[in-house]
Amino acid sequence: MNFPPFAKHRIFAAASALIAGSILLTACAPGAGESAAKADGKESLVVYSNSVSDGRGAWLTAEAAHAGFDLQLVDLGGGEVMNRLSAEKNNPVADVTFGMNNVYFEKLKAQDVLEPYTPAWSGEVDAAMGDQDGKTFWPIVREPIMLVYNQAAFASADAAPQDWTDLWTKDQFKGRYEVPSASTGATTQMVYAGILSRYADPNGELGVSQQGWDQMAAYFKNGSTAVKGEDLYARMKAGKVDAGQMWLAGKNSREAEYGIKSEAVRPKIGVPYSVQHVAMVKGTKKAKTAQKFIDWFGSAKVQAAWSNKFFTAPTNKEALADANQQAITQTNAFTAQDIDWALVAENMDAWVEKIELDYRK
Amino acid sequence: MNISVHKMLRSPLFLVVAAVLLWFSAAFLVWPNLRLLGEVFMPNGEPTFRAFERLGSSRRAMDSLRNSFLLAIVLSVTVNLVGVFIVLVTRYFAIKGARVLYLGYATTLIYGGIVQVAGYKIIYGEHGFVTNLLAGAFPDMDRTWFTGMAAVVFVMTVAGTGNHLLFMTNALARVDFQTVEAAKMMGASTWRVLLTIVLPTIRPMLYAITILTFLGGLGALAAPQVLGGTSFQTITPMILTFANSPSSRDLAATLALVLGVSTMVLLAILNRMEKGGTYFAVSKVPTAMKKQKIANRWANAAVHAAAYLLLAVYLVPPLLIVLFSFTSASAISTGTLAWESFTLKNYALVFSDYEAFWPFLVSLGYGAFASITVVAGMLFVARLLQKYRNRVTAFIEFVLHIPWVLPSTLIALGLIIAYDHASWIMGNVVLTGTVALLGITYVILKIPFTLRMLKAAFTGVPDQLEEAAAILGAGPLTTFRLVLLPVVAPTAAAIAALNFNSLLDDYDTAVFVAHPLYQPLGIVIKNATGEDTLNDATALTFVYTVLLMLITATTMWLVYGRPSAGRRRKPKAAEPAGTAVEPVTTRN
Repeated sequence: MNFPPFAKHRIFAAASALIAGSILLTACAPGAGESAAKADGKESLVVYSNSVSDGRGAWLTAEAAHAGFDLQLVDLGGGEVMNRLSAEKNNPVADVTFGMNNVYFEKLKAQDVLEPYTPAWSGEVDAAMGDQDGKTFWPIVREPIMLVYNQAAFASADAAPQDWTDLWTKDQFKGRYEVPSASTGATTQMVYAGILSRYADPNGELGVSQQGWDQMAAYFKNGSTAVKGEDLYARMKAGKVDAGQMWLAGKNSREAEYGIKSEAVRPKIGVPYSVQHVAMVKGTKKAKTAQKFIDWFGSAKVQAAWSNKFFTAPTNKEALADANQQAITQTNAFTAQDIDWALVAENMDAWVEKIELDYRK
Repeated sequence: MNISVHKMLRSPLFLVVAAVLLWFSAAFLVWPNLRLLGEVFMPNGEPTFRAFERLGSSRRAMDSLRNSFLLAIVLSVTVNLVGVFIVLVTRYFAIKGARVLYLGYATTLIYGGIVQVAGYKIIYGEHGFVTNLLAGAFPDMDRTWFTGMAAVVFVMTVAGTGNHLLFMTNALARVDFQTVEAAKMMGASTWRVLLTIVLPTIRPMLYAITILTFLGGLGALAAPQVLGGTSFQTITPMILTFANSPSSRDLAATLALVLGVSTMVLLAILNRMEKGGTYFAVSKVPTAMKKQKIANRWANAAVHAAAYLLLAVYLVPPLLIVLFSFTSASAISTGTLAWESFTLKNYALVFSDYEAFWPFLVSLGYGAFASITVVAGMLFVARLLQKYRNRVTAFIEFVLHIPWVLPSTLIALGLIIAYDHASWIMGNVVLTGTVALLGITYVILKIPFTLRMLKAAFTGVPDQLEEAAAILGAGPLTTFRLVLLPVVAPTAAAIAALNFNSLLDDYDTAVFVAHPLYQPLGIVIKNATGEDTLNDATALTFVYTVLLMLITATTMWLVYGRPSAGRRRKPKAAEPAGTAVEPVTTRN
């Protein structure tokens, strides 16, 4: 047989390595839905979260192990966590999910993906931030979604925009602010919610009055579209734009990276707060362990430690004293905009569709 | 070669392959996607056609769709031109330093995505080297010249020539060198020999690559996003947005079907052209190809200059990416290199996690499994489809191309919907939450590419070889193993390597079907570099690209490189010269 020498050896070598590998993979993989009970009797929990990147996941896994939980984190974006949970609802893989905001959790609740549970710390948080008429998801961390501007671009704070609406109604800001290049990001959808929910109208298209849609159209028409691969702060530094959307923790790290000072606008109407929640997944076979984990994770002690480590403002009132005070001060510096999250959650997908088709450049 | 269904059924090899093929197609290609399309277009049991109306009334959707088609058509021309050129200068003409040229051109095979485009932007963008040079000569020029359609076409043309380099090189080696010599003796010019002898031989491969290029243009993502500006956006970003939003999935599916159907039409046209052609310029007597000297001195000089200019175009971006992966996000955004901005911090960050290597291993495992499985399976199928041409095989071939029609997100969703419960077609095995599901999904996704390229490779195999083997008493399996397989082995290896590389950083499917304990690299990369990360992750994106470059380059080297001692180079008589295709780095 005259096989070209490279093909023969390598393909066989690779194939045998591969077969060995896949047997190994299947051998030590827990099957679907089976409880992966360990030798010491610990049940492992599968946790889906969009809030475990940047080292948060490693920290959580280690801390949870001390507390007796064996976590398997699945680190995905907010939209992906939601889509995956709803796709798997007939045969769930996850036991617990946390990190997503109200919009996503309201959508999951509407699809009957979450199991009601009242955590031990329910009295220590403002339950109104979470599930309004049920007990499915509970708040853990809150963070303002802000409009930031480059300080160097404006002579004084008075010369800078005072609210989102200034951007497209006042000539000096037109073309000088960044609008998102995709509608999929969680922050972006919060910005949409902040603008559109001001014009809520039960008789309007998708729950929003025509005036509201005109504002959205003007927002995109007068904005400078974000460029993939270029950060807002890079564009501000280069003088291409002067303002754009940002979340609290992101502002601090980017100021350090690019060496520019930015300031957040404080609109009278307030800003949308992205509140992260935790919930148990319906159909989990490890409900007891999942509940214990939720009780532990949202407790004042763990939330205070999380805050100090990752610059967050906990919702657990008992955690505030020991938490990162700077993060709390900066978070509380804003007024919370009054937003009907149920309305937002019900319509967000349709809003995104309309914006993508009709308004984005 | 039309063989009746009746005759086809008498081949035992056919029956076995066909049985497996039918079950696989039904279980993995037809049923899940039908379920998905049912849910998408009939959410409440009533069919809805609002997608057409919504999309038709959207100026942006229509513009993007038009741009995607425009890009696909333009690229089909430009990529073929540049691709054929680089294959000829490295493999056909006697050009000095051909090996260096080949390695330089091959860099496009080992990286891609957003960072590849960023690499070009560092050179031609606003603060880029070339822009600075031009601005010195023409102070009034627009520094943002490198945007819009021309920039997108430029980058995607260079990035798209990898298929030529791998597959056309194999096809070119089958050109009958004696015919070339005879033509030259009869006074044919270099140009004429090229047009009348060489190009016709490589035509099946040219068709196959054209389909890939067309698909690449339709599915363009990173280049238009980074360089297109507001004037040249394409449809794929919109499809991805809608595919991830349950209530808008009908729009995603509709757009994908529009693209898919047009790809199928092109495929049908090219299949017909391929069928009508005769490829008898294929060598049956092994005479090693000798590189052709370009007779005209000026032409020779021009070709040399063009080849080396192209080398610079290919080579500089990856070198810069490696350099910039050691800098910070702010250095990358301004495209400036300074000693003080060099740091090992980015690499330390990637490797500081003690679990950092696990996703690499998972991706390697899945990549190896899927790429080898799909090539092994499609070897039989491709030969079958190429040998027996009738309505049944034409239909099977169409079904096998379904993964090209739908975006991978929707294919993954279809599998979840179809197999999140016990189903008889799967022997009552629930697939969601298993390690197998991602592997199966990867195999499915790689079928069309693998099939198309292998079929083109088999087209170059003369029937006489098989007939001779049959006369000598070899059964179909023996013939396949000893006669056919060696002929297509170089192409098969190239396909496996490309499949493997392309699966390494997959995110769109893994995000839906990966097992919690076995999450591949793509998920880790996306989470570390996504838009909502704490820090600006531009530098990390570069680091991961460099790491992927290392892995893909290693794959290519394992398959092609490693000049091993004692390699048998003497082709045997029973084998066409095509099998003597030498690996890339053979010492000439």
